[in-house]
Amino acid sequence: MSLPSAEVAADFRDALQDLKVNSRPEISNLTIIAKESTEHAQAISRELENHIKTTRPEWKLPALYVLDSIVKNVGTPYTVYLGRNLYRTFMDAYVLVDEPTRKAMEGLLRTWKQPVPESMDPRPVFPVEMTRDIENSLIKFRTMAVQQAQRSQKPPMQQGLPPRPASNANVPWRHNPTPPQNATRYTPSNDPRLRQNFPPQHGTQNTPQMPPQNQFQPPNSGFTQPTASADLDTINADLDNLINSAKTDFAQNPSDVPRQQKLKTLLDLQTILKTRTLLPNQLSQIQEQIRQLAPPTAPAPSLPPSLPVPPPMIQSPQQAPPPFQATNPSFNLAQILAAARASGPPPPPAQANTSLADLLRRTSSPMQSSGTPTSVAPFPLPFPAAPMPPAPAPVPTPVPVTPTPAPSLAQILQQFGKSQPVPAAPPPPSALQFSLPQFLAQQPSTPANPAGGAEWLLNALKAQNMIPPVGASPFPPPFANAPPQAEVIGQPGSAALNAANDVELTTASMKISRPNLISKLYFAVPNQCVTCGRRFENTPQGKEKKARHMDWHFKVKDPDLSKRGIHRSWYISEREWIDYREVDETAPEQAVNGSGSAGAATAPKKETKDQYVPVPTDPTLVHAPCPICQERFEPQWLVEANDFVWMDAIKVNSKIYHATCWEEYSKGANLSVPFAAPATPDSVLGKRKAEGVSNSAEKKLRA
Amino acid sequence: MTTLPGLPGLPGLSLTAPSSHEAPTFVSQSHITRTQELPPGTEYRFEVSFSCRLSVKLISGTAEYFGTELAPNSKDPYLFSEGTKGAIYTWHGCKLELEGEVESEYVAEETKMDTYANAHFALEKVREQAAQHNDTGPRVLVVGPGNAGKTSVVHILTSYAVKMGRQPLVVNLDPRQGMLSVPGSLTAAAFSSIVDVEEGWGSSPISGPSPIPVKMPLVYHYGMPSPEENGGKYFKPLVTRMALAVTSRLEVDRAARVAGFVIDTSGAMSRGKGGVYENIEHVVSEFSVNIIFVLGSERLYSDLSRKYSHRTTPDDHVTLIRLDKSNGCVDRDEDYMKQFRQAQIRSYFFGHGENTLSPSTHWEDYSEMSIYKVAGEINPAFRSGDDEDDDDNAYGTSPSIFEKVTPSPQMQNSLLAITSARASDSHETIRDASVIGYLYVADVDDAKKKLRLLSPQSGRTPNNAMILGCWPEDVPGLVS
Repeated sequence: MSLPSAEVAADFRDALQDLKVNSRPEISNLTIIAKESTEHAQAISRELENHIKTTRPEWKLPALYVLDSIVKNVGTPYTVYLGRNLYRTFMDAYVLVDEPTRKAMEGLLRTWKQPVPESMDPRPVFPVEMTRDIENSLIKFRTMAVQQAQRSQKPPMQQGLPPRPASNANVPWRHNPTPPQNATRYTPSNDPRLRQNFPPQHGTQNTPQMPPQNQFQPPNSGFTQPTASADLDTINADLDNLINSAKTDFAQNPSDVPRQQKLKTLLDLQTILKTRTLLPNQLSQIQEQIRQLAPPTAPAPSLPPSLPVPPPMIQSPQQAPPPFQATNPSFNLAQILAAARASGPPPPPAQANTSLADLLRRTSSPMQSSGTPTSVAPFPLPFPAAPMPPAPAPVPTPVPVTPTPAPSLAQILQQFGKSQPVPAAPPPPSALQFSLPQFLAQQPSTPANPAGGAEWLLNALKAQNMIPPVGASPFPPPFANAPPQAEVIGQPGSAALNAANDVELTTASMKISRPNLISKLYFAVPNQCVTCGRRFENTPQGKEKKARHMDWHFKVKDPDLSKRGIHRSWYISEREWIDYREVDETAPEQAVNGSGSAGAATAPKKETKDQYVPVPTDPTLVHAPCPICQERFEPQWLVEANDFVWMDAIKVNSKIYHATCWEEYSKGANLSVPFAAPATPDSVLGKRKAEGVSNSAEKKLRA
Repeated sequence: MTTLPGLPGLPGLSLTAPSSHEAPTFVSQSHITRTQELPPGTEYRFEVSFSCRLSVKLISGTAEYFGTELAPNSKDPYLFSEGTKGAIYTWHGCKLELEGEVESEYVAEETKMDTYANAHFALEKVREQAAQHNDTGPRVLVVGPGNAGKTSVVHILTSYAVKMGRQPLVVNLDPRQGMLSVPGSLTAAAFSSIVDVEEGWGSSPISGPSPIPVKMPLVYHYGMPSPEENGGKYFKPLVTRMALAVTSRLEVDRAARVAGFVIDTSGAMSRGKGGVYENIEHVVSEFSVNIIFVLGSERLYSDLSRKYSHRTTPDDHVTLIRLDKSNGCVDRDEDYMKQFRQAQIRSYFFGHGENTLSPSTHWEDYSEMSIYKVAGEINPAFRSGDDEDDDDNAYGTSPSIFEKVTPSPQMQNSLLAITSARASDSHETIRDASVIGYLYVADVDDAKKKLRLLSPQSGRTPNNAMILGCWPEDVPGLVS
């Protein structure tokens, strides 16, 4: 308690730094620390903000989940402290993370606009003003991204982008008044990958970036020494861009199947990129292809985008800007390659001669040999996006889809399929220099669909099993809220959760290891009580149950209780045990035991029996037996009353009777019945008289 | 004492405690909080002495204690004491924070958890079918020699079933260790909520709230160490009685019916005589057992399969499955078991851990008590002999099931089972009556003809028929 804030904060920071995946236990641990250290809330909040700001982009989301967990589970004062900088914390992270993470963040933001689930407090998690500011910015952000993608040929200055020197182009652009983040904040990254790739002269400062085209000029490490990470990031950025514009396009024409398919295809391609390990030179070629897809408005090709927006370029300093020859309006891949060959140090021959098809084939052959299912799941027509982001503010024109770029990729994929049987044979070097007619000639059966050129790509992907079956996708659909990294490593996907229970009742079947079934005991029931470890389903009912369960924990933890003399209760009798139903603290109301399951028949009895009085404080009353049966009352803990009570008791004229005794007495019916039958345990347990079903059970017992 | 019970969370303080404990040199004496990383599929096995305790906290990952999942980062660590020999298994890997002294500890990479989990899923399949057809779920009997891990397997099967929302009944037919009651008792209970981690099977109801939902046991008094005692003359009728109660419960309690039950047995039952296992056969027929898990013993498995393989009709079909014995099973010597039993008895009256109970003592006249003991019961001193070959009627309707005993100083330190039968009831009724509680004879004043009794509750003791068993053995000094 008396620990200085700095120490608590340091502990918290240490714990945070270990948080690299969306690990429920770690997050709840951090939440508990926060909860137990509310006196240091300010320091902890500062640590958390700082961590989100400085940690690597892929670790930002777990940290944001910590923030989310704290504000939802602890609330004030954290909402106050964290709310102050929420805008910056959120937006700074948002511009740096990849698309799935953004979706997850948008999901978080949505929940912040609502009250805490299962809470009595109707107020939203964060005040509406805060979330609204962020939302507005997100809308602008998306709009800009779309516009950027659409008018990618125009100079950025004309697009309303903030004036910014080209040298700064790869510093993520943020649509808010705060100054752009200094690049130095990324340098602490200790990823060795990044260091090796980092030209020393770039140092740790925000040095001016190379001019865009220099990626294709020697000596440019960005091109001659491409690394998987750098290229993949660029490709992903480009792809994100494409996807963004495709989304907008789709949002405006939701019923347009080709558009929908195009988007789907792009998303699939994204998945492929993420799930396969590609060689650097392969990547760079895919990159070219994607870039060809990128300028959607072919009519006025002037300048390719100098910077994709939003740019999730996480290793920004070392990343070369997208390599476009600004001076070459009608470039094509061949030219670029030719230029690269001519002017640069000769790239490895494989790189120059390898077609995308070739490299795709190479990439995927290990996959196919590793037992990927051969049947391709049919594409679900419903668009996978559950929550479509709000359509951005006015976008001038829908992006027309030009067929030209798409077929090239599709063709390659088709070729890839053709050459599949002979994987060793390298395709002709000209494979990358085809044209549309060429493509059509080669693929007469494939319909050329100018409106949805992506269809070819889609088909090609399908044909090559490049698209994993939807259900078994190791990645959630890109639109889902949970990004890939949100899954705990080793946590099975949904496929595993539905794993069939194939255990037979045989000795041999017991010996087969079935790790997939274990998830039924764990992640199939993900909502865990931190106090006792009990798990609840992630359904509304499961949440309700958990809420009641937590209430129960709270009730039994009354510190006053330990002062009272608690003793072991007598065991119940056979009859009572047979009719006893386990008390489920998660059930809506306490099941009343003893009256059995006879239901309606015993309902009136329940009422009598369930009457109780709190254990009196008056010493004479405490020791007084029931005036009718002369039996003492048994104090017991009643959860509903949160007090010790005498059950089956009623206070009449300052005397306390057994309610059942009183009932019988007041009926005047059974006065002759010998009340003093004290030897049976029933009387010890209270006036429980099992009836209905229990009678049959009793008969059975006596039988 | 090297432990500071009140200060488990202050490592610095416990360092000052003298570590002059008579522990072997290999024993970890560290009181410093230490972390233990467990790779997936491994098990942290530990033994805690009766004088020490170990606190365990799950820092990250998942971990389970005989099937019950540990709470993540629970504020209060789990405390293991009183001779716990336990194992914390992890399917996904975990990090534990340990503090306290253990007699031995190690991380085992070879476990049989895969097998036990499979056993659970196999039962779960039967339950699913039972739920569909409103049928009775799996009726499981676990047999095997002593120290083969029967109780652990029962525990794991129960915990997993509970975890999947089932409500299985557990029947303990091993008088050597109590379940939710003292040793010497035979119990049945439904488990619907999380199984306790710190205290064996958990606690039977107390008059106040309990941090883990209590379990409601049905208790019978057996009062002998082995089911084979007396040729099973006393054991078999009790089994019959329990089977009736359990079957009746299954009939009226749908949740229990679907989940079925698991019977834990004593190792003595699996010894048999010449390949005949009378008690096992009796249990199988009375409880209509349809699945038998045989732990460890090849011979028992083969003997039983001979016995049950001819049963092929769906009604009386018995599936026999051999499960491997976990190499984590440790032999518990008699000395340990004795201490263990005494701890169980102590916790019946005084509670376990932080949950202290307040029993009361009072004097009772000899004349107020109706105490019986099993007739012809061998004096505990001579009990080791195998002289139970007299084949008279096991269901003895002869009036001499019991003989009435007058209190004597010899009764001091022993347990009395208060049955739910009246003193005037017939012997059969007394034998078949469930137990409402236990008394401990703290003192005998032969001159005044009075007994000083420790009772779980204050107030007059019900003057029901009481049974004095020869088991469990005396617990000296429970009330000092």
